[in-house]
Amino acid sequence: MNGLEAIAAHNGWAISVVGVSIVFTGLTLLSLTISQLHKVIKFWDERDKFSQQVKQLWKKEEPREEKEEEEEEETIPDFCLAQDIDEITRQFKLLTKRIGEPFPLPKLLEISERCGLFRPHSAINYLLRTERILPDGKGYFYWNENK
Amino acid sequence: MSADVQTLKSLEIFSELAHEDVEEIASLMTPLKIMEGETVMRRGDPAHTFYIVLSGNFMVHFKDDRAITLHNRGDIMGWSTVITPFQYTGTGVALTDSEILSLPGQNFLRLIQGNSVLGDKIMKKINAVVVERMPFVSEIRKESEDN
Repeated sequence: MNGLEAIAAHNGWAISVVGVSIVFTGLTLLSLTISQLHKVIKFWDERDKFSQQVKQLWKKEEPREEKEEEEEEETIPDFCLAQDIDEITRQFKLLTKRIGEPFPLPKLLEISERCGLFRPHSAINYLLRTERILPDGKGYFYWNENK
Repeated sequence: MSADVQTLKSLEIFSELAHEDVEEIASLMTPLKIMEGETVMRRGDPAHTFYIVLSGNFMVHFKDDRAITLHNRGDIMGWSTVITPFQYTGTGVALTDSEILSLPGQNFLRLIQGNSVLGDKIMKKINAVVVERMPFVSEIRKESEDN
């Protein structure tokens, strides 16, 4: 017995259909996993933000007085710290050493973008909102040495 | 999509206006979402749109890289839409993802000129902001006057 007859006699057609199905199912699952990978990475990048949101959900059930006390903390910008804030401060301080103090904020932004720092706009905003960087009243900025 | 009347009423700039006036302004305003790092206006460009910050943080930078930062709901940008020479005096950049209301300058100007009571109330609020920012923008005003 040879050829197509032999294939049919030993369930060859069924086996090949099952094989093809397995391979295609595997490839579909793989492509679906890869297509959703960016969400996992985004979640990992913004894990601090998510943990804050979860905490806020818990806080909603707490008494109103405590909630008011913590309102000030909530107004701090939504900058997700993928890096340590001290490290970010150190990086920006290094950049301002090149410019001098008081420094122009647009210049600092421009240099930080050129150096490829992580989300420079949000980082600068975070430094401003946490008063690590202060305005000098003349349109320039300086580092708050007390922070 | 027009802006919400209640939202406008909660803003300092429109707080003293009559309900009908706020409704009229609301019909002219459009809410916009701005991404971190996006530029909403550029210094020297014709001032065609007036902006009010609903949420988020902005940096407005002027000549000589002087800058101010806006962090509060109700902060305004683009007041040059109602003041000669109708040229933006600063460049506005979003430091974080933000929400703003935009109002076409011509409509705003027509509204102010067509209703003296409303115009007077709004211009008083805008003038207070202009006085605050004037030290940073005086140079460009001087340049425009010279030209």
